[in-house]
Amino acid sequence: MGSIVTPYLTLAAILFCVGLYGALTKKNGVIVLLSIELMLNAVNLNLVAFSKLGDHPALTGQIFSLFNITIAAAEAAVGIAILITIYRNKGTSDVNEMDSMKR
Amino acid sequence: MLNGIGDFLSSGSSWMFFIFALLAIGGAIFMISFTKVIHMVISLALTFISLGGLYVILEAEFVAFVQVLIYAGAISILMIFGIMMTKHRQGEEEEPRRPWHEGLAIVGSLALFGVIFYAIQKTKFVATGAFDAGKDNTMEIGKLLYNEHVIPFEIMSVLLTVAFIGAIIIAKREED
Amino acid sequence: MVSDYSQYAWLIPLFPLLAFLALTAMGRQLKELGIYISIVAMLASFIVALLIFVERLGGHVEDYTWDKLSWLQVGDYTLRMGFEVNNLNALMLVIVTLVSLLVNIYSKGYMKGDERIHVFFSYIALFSFSMLGLVISENMLELYIFWELVGVCSFLLVGFWYFKPEAKAAAKKAFIVTRIGDVGLFIGILLLFWYMPGHALDFTSIHNAISSSKIDGTIVTWIAILIFIGAIGKSGQFPLHTWLPDAMEGPTPISALIHAATMVAAGVYLVARTFDIFHASPDALLVVAYVGGFTAIFAATIGIAQNDIKRILAYSTVSQLGYMMMALGIGVSYASGMFHLFTHAFFKALLFLGAGSVIHAVHTQDINEMGGLSRKMKITTWTFAIGTLALSGIFPFAGFWSKDLILSEAYDHNQLLFWVGVIAAFFTAFYMSRLFFLVFMGKPQHHGAHEPHESPASMTTPLIILAVLAVVAGFVNTPFNEWLSHWLTGQDHEESANWTVIILSTLAGLLGIGLGYLMYLKRSIPRDVVSSRAPWLYKLLNRKYYVDEIYDGGVVKPLRGLGYVLELFDVYIVDGIVRLVAFVIVGLGRLGARLQNGQLQTYGVVTLLGMLILALAIAGRRFIHAG
Repeated sequence: MGSIVTPYLTLAAILFCVGLYGALTKKNGVIVLLSIELMLNAVNLNLVAFSKLGDHPALTGQIFSLFNITIAAAEAAVGIAILITIYRNKGTSDVNEMDSMKR
Repeated sequence: MLNGIGDFLSSGSSWMFFIFALLAIGGAIFMISFTKVIHMVISLALTFISLGGLYVILEAEFVAFVQVLIYAGAISILMIFGIMMTKHRQGEEEEPRRPWHEGLAIVGSLALFGVIFYAIQKTKFVATGAFDAGKDNTMEIGKLLYNEHVIPFEIMSVLLTVAFIGAIIIAKREED
Repeated sequence: MVSDYSQYAWLIPLFPLLAFLALTAMGRQLKELGIYISIVAMLASFIVALLIFVERLGGHVEDYTWDKLSWLQVGDYTLRMGFEVNNLNALMLVIVTLVSLLVNIYSKGYMKGDERIHVFFSYIALFSFSMLGLVISENMLELYIFWELVGVCSFLLVGFWYFKPEAKAAAKKAFIVTRIGDVGLFIGILLLFWYMPGHALDFTSIHNAISSSKIDGTIVTWIAILIFIGAIGKSGQFPLHTWLPDAMEGPTPISALIHAATMVAAGVYLVARTFDIFHASPDALLVVAYVGGFTAIFAATIGIAQNDIKRILAYSTVSQLGYMMMALGIGVSYASGMFHLFTHAFFKALLFLGAGSVIHAVHTQDINEMGGLSRKMKITTWTFAIGTLALSGIFPFAGFWSKDLILSEAYDHNQLLFWVGVIAAFFTAFYMSRLFFLVFMGKPQHHGAHEPHESPASMTTPLIILAVLAVVAGFVNTPFNEWLSHWLTGQDHEESANWTVIILSTLAGLLGIGLGYLMYLKRSIPRDVVSSRAPWLYKLLNRKYYVDEIYDGGVVKPLRGLGYVLELFDVYIVDGIVRLVAFVIVGLGRLGARLQNGQLQTYGVVTLLGMLILALAIAGRRFIHAG
């Protein structure tokens, strides 16, 4: 599919929705973070596809996706650190146990 | 769209796309359907790698390289470390069934996909120019990065510094 | 001539009302003084009533009406309240105030020691107020108001000893059964209101409208019958008589006051007051006469098979009220009925108070457990004897003259009712003599621990006064000088003595007494001559013709069943709907609470769904407008 962008966008949409489902449903916090990474990957795919096959082909899309990857990595690191700390304090990494927003 | 499948099957890059896409989707589906956490991470790593392949098809070699390096490499290992440090016993990996919640989440995701798919189909994409990738993708990206997008680049480095310092401090065991 | 005292007639109900208020507010603190307040108030009322009455004795005093109080204004119709005094009223005023005064004095001795005695006197005062207000009412609606008040007082007094379940039941029964009659009266008043020119309800307007035939004949009949239904309830005629014997659960002084002399006479008074309506409708008069006649003989036959002293007297009251209604129904005028009411008030009150004296002495009400009381209770015996003779219609006591007037009118106009009256007179004499001989003569049957002794002066004095009245009251209207009839109705009657009637009625009375003497004193005829040969007859009479049982099975039980069904309906359907609403609301609340569980993923799903709905709504609008 070298000339149209639609398959890439569809694929990205599928990956995004799968990642969304995982983020909303999984019990383990690590898996939730992982699903968020998947969603970010879908976005990256979109960006790179548009950079080649979109309305104004340019390299800007790839630059953007690089930045996105950086952010995602930083966020994953901080997320894992927080998860480890929570695990140390609560004894569990089950997201359903983190309900202090109830009150 | 059915006409497109005929064109689709005719070129080699379409086959590659198809294979990589299948691998990516398969990895994602397996990720959410496996029960053991380690398996989930491995299947997602497969997704990351196949995405890298897709980037190559899209003539974004540098991005593909970075993708495999960072995602399939660093982040997957990071996740495995996270799992190792937070896991209790084997039995904890059982998920309690929450049918209402899962049902609604499936409905929501499918609906979202439907909306996005509809939007994608309805949009008319008109290419205004050919993509000039240049001979060396990395060089081109480097040129752009340090000439036009240097400020975001610097901010990125600050962000990374802050992030890793922050992560260390958060995760540090408190001295009693 | 214009009356001087009639304008003060409003004071007569006022004094007992003030006594009622004083006793209700401060009765417990006042104790003895409270009783005297009630007696003095009644005495004051009696004096004013006597003044009004004596002034009117001359015979040429105008009726006095005062209706200046406009109580309710609806559109262009004004409801007025006031009072009216004429000869009929004046007579009733004297009767009511005198009997009430005597009962007040009597109660001081009879109710001595009861800890709620001040409540008792306050209720009597309230009753006196209501009855007197009823007597001087100026229009039908005001009369109805006091009619209801009198019913309430009867309820309060019958159920005075509320800790006795029989008293509670009897009070409820009295109120409910009279209420059935009151509905008829109220519908009659409504019809009157509808058809009277100018919607006027006062008695003068009624008199004028009826005499000038302004209202259609069938309507007049209906109004009369409906008013009579109210009288049936209040005066205990068949079929609404069942409450009166049960009302004997109340203290004896009020059996005397309310259920002998005054309240039950209110029905007779009502018919007399509205006699113009009845007189204009011969059919209604027939109904009144036959109901009265039937009741007279019906109650008399029940009375001969009862064993409770008060119940015998109660059935006697029902029977005598039947006589009064029969007299009114015969239609010559209301004089005969009112005359009998006048004499009956005295001797029946006397008999009840005497019975109270007996009960006070022997602490039982079953006549088979009494006997030989004449030795120890001389005054009671003599006064009771006078009352018995008066009731049996023996010359020259009061009952003779009034019964004679009724029977001679019946003889002239309706032979069937005449014979009914004579037979009922025989039964009356029989059961009264049975009562007298079993209670006062013969060998003492009571096994009480203490000897009976005569009652205190507060109880015997009213007895003596009433006995005197029972002797002389009849002389105001003899066949040789019909002064009362003339004075009440202003009509002239032919003054002739019907000797057939006189002889027959006296014969019936003497036969009755003779039979009672033979059966219960000399014992030459055995007591169970009828009850052993025809036990079913005795049982039928003793069980009051099973009227109560018929009512219970035919009316009470179905109503209870209906009430039960409605209760089920209420609990499951009406209540069910309410509980369903509450359940739904609470359910919705719980559902909402489940969303707020503090879990991020829940919030995420809700956000996703909300965003989708929003997107679809906004995008969808394009289609609706475009399509």
